Amino acid sequence: MRVLGLILGILLLPVSSPPAQGLQFPDIPGWKQSGEVQSFSPKTLYEYINGAADLYLASDFEELKVAEYVNEKKASVIVEAYRHRTPRDAFGIYSQERLPDGNFLEIGAQGYSDKNILNFVYGRYYVKLNSYNTGTDDREALQAIAIMVAEHSGEKGGLPSLLSAFPPEGKKGNSEKYITRNFLGYAFFHSAYTADYELAGKAFKLFLIEAADENECKSILQQYLRRIKKPERGITERRYTVADPHHGVIDLFWKGRYIWGTVDLADADLRTKILKSFEAHMRPGKGALDLKSVMRFTLF
Amino acid sequence: MKKDGVGRRDFMKTTLAGFGGLFFLSALDKQPEEKRIDVKGKGRKLVYRPLGRTGLKLPVINMGVMNSDNPNLIRAALDSGVVLLDTAHAYMQGRNEEVIGSVVKGRPRDSYLIGSKVSLPQDRTTGRYTEGATETEFLRKLDLSLKRLGIDHVDILYHHGVSRKESVLHEPVLNAMAKAKKAGKFRFAGITTHSNEPEVIHAAVDTKFYEVILTAYNYQQKHVADVRDAIARAAQAGLGIVGMKAIRGGFRLSPSVRSPAAALKWVLQDPHVHTIVPGFTTFDQLETDLAVMEDINLNEAEKMELQKEASLPGLYCQGCRECLGQCVARLPIPDLMRAYMYVYDYRNLAMARDLVLSLGLPSGACGECTVCPVRCSSGFPVREKIRDIVRIREIPAEFIA
Repeated sequence: MRVLGLILGILLLPVSSPPAQGLQFPDIPGWKQSGEVQSFSPKTLYEYINGAADLYLASDFEELKVAEYVNEKKASVIVEAYRHRTPRDAFGIYSQERLPDGNFLEIGAQGYSDKNILNFVYGRYYVKLNSYNTGTDDREALQAIAIMVAEHSGEKGGLPSLLSAFPPEGKKGNSEKYITRNFLGYAFFHSAYTADYELAGKAFKLFLIEAADENECKSILQQYLRRIKKPERGITERRYTVADPHHGVIDLFWKGRYIWGTVDLADADLRTKILKSFEAHMRPGKGALDLKSVMRFTLF
Repeated sequence: MKKDGVGRRDFMKTTLAGFGGLFFLSALDKQPEEKRIDVKGKGRKLVYRPLGRTGLKLPVINMGVMNSDNPNLIRAALDSGVVLLDTAHAYMQGRNEEVIGSVVKGRPRDSYLIGSKVSLPQDRTTGRYTEGATETEFLRKLDLSLKRLGIDHVDILYHHGVSRKESVLHEPVLNAMAKAKKAGKFRFAGITTHSNEPEVIHAAVDTKFYEVILTAYNYQQKHVADVRDAIARAAQAGLGIVGMKAIRGGFRLSPSVRSPAAALKWVLQDPHVHTIVPGFTTFDQLETDLAVMEDINLNEAEKMELQKEASLPGLYCQGCRECLGQCVARLPIPDLMRAYMYVYDYRNLAMARDLVLSLGLPSGACGECTVCPVRCSSGFPVREKIRDIVRIREIPAEFIA
């Protein structure tokens, strides 16, 4: 029995890889770390950010590490590094908190600063920096620290590649989001990418749902049509224009394992134009995405 | 009623108040002050309770908006009878308040209530405020919140995320709130707590400053009895009590109960809780909440559902019967655990007493064992619970109406 256990142990060794080292808080010239690095798990995140924790947990939050840097002038910068299960989850929470009129920076996959804060997303990490008493050096100090933290995160990659499927015409800058659950208030829609638009004086939203496969797309549509009391038997890949009791006209298109559509856009002609433009960006060879080859979970 | 100079109420207080600290009398003696109010055009009659002495009357469930940036869901909630929208300065880095602002824009100001929260930097390991926790910072955040919401005042302003007595009394916050209230930037002063709730609640009552308490409260809290007692004291002192974390029990992402409606109703069985603000994100969840707002009573199926919950440390025996062979005195442990639940959850003393008496227990149950060999699969402290519950035999039947 002991021999069998030993053999099993050896066989299992290569399967269980050692835990990733993860983000390390670097030494930063002119600053020193104050106190111990604090860690919070999904179970204790409430102790750190109270009710805001719900949204992080919905984005598959795994761990938070918090470090404080101080300098001789008694200025301090608190760095919060939230690690999520996937880069997409990290982008999800980052995008939902992102300030669209922030000062955008090339830190990590994307970052921005505003007054005494600097936030960026990089791989599985959503990193938030807050400065206190840094005075006129606020932005410089935050940027210098953020760049070094990003370099020591052990992460790489950019923003989700599916975002490039959104037609550029009329798209509001930095309005893209990844909604991790219950998109439009329906559990069956699960997650979706969205972006805000303004065209011809009309403000509206586009969305893109990525399913596991075509069957899931079909199931999503079946549930949706049933929910709005317009059930259909032969659901096929095509355009659907529906009157949603909560959202008004929703125009959507199903192809492959993707569903894309419009919200808050009453103009039928514009909807047609937008959906075609979306399809063009989803088509192999025409835009950034190949419907057949884009693999789930490898979007960064 | 008086008997030998001791009335039923006094007897219950003196005898049962120490009943493991879990029982609290008012649930039996005091009916919650509530009434049903028609929602215009919806054909619904929702249960309302007064929020302490604030003068506000609220439906028993309102909306925690923290997870939703779906304006149509918030609109649907308000149109269905929800009155209070609960948010915070920090939620979604301010976007949550902006979304609410876009929804309430154009609505009559007296048709909705908003509760928001401001937090200041704390050392989260100690719960103590750090250097940046100033009056100026608090007021700056409040002004920004009002700007995002597009209104000149919130109805309840909470001192957010407090876990220590000394933080309840943090002078810069109290000064800031006093100034803001004088300036008309909020109507009622509140405080929120997610951990160490009893200490915070008692301290908040003692200050006589706060008018509303927003606290985590659910049957999965290990210290639920202490929370319940603290809530009772606060409510009796006239504070409004708003419950949160009723379904998720804190850190759990998915509802940790099979029946969210039952979990909500469980909290509302406590007459000292005036409303709950669950954070729903779907229209179906809103419908569930509306159904509870119409009927807050646990039905038999829901009681059974709660009883069956696999993750209910402290109250519900899972009935696995693994304990039966372990007890040297061969006590009917699952039955005793059921009696325990009758008292501390159903608050049905008669049912518990009948059950305990029917078991024909020895007089000193658990009294003779110095070490208990029973290892409950749910982690119940079996001996403590048995010692506690068998005392119900000593209560005369006429005192348990």
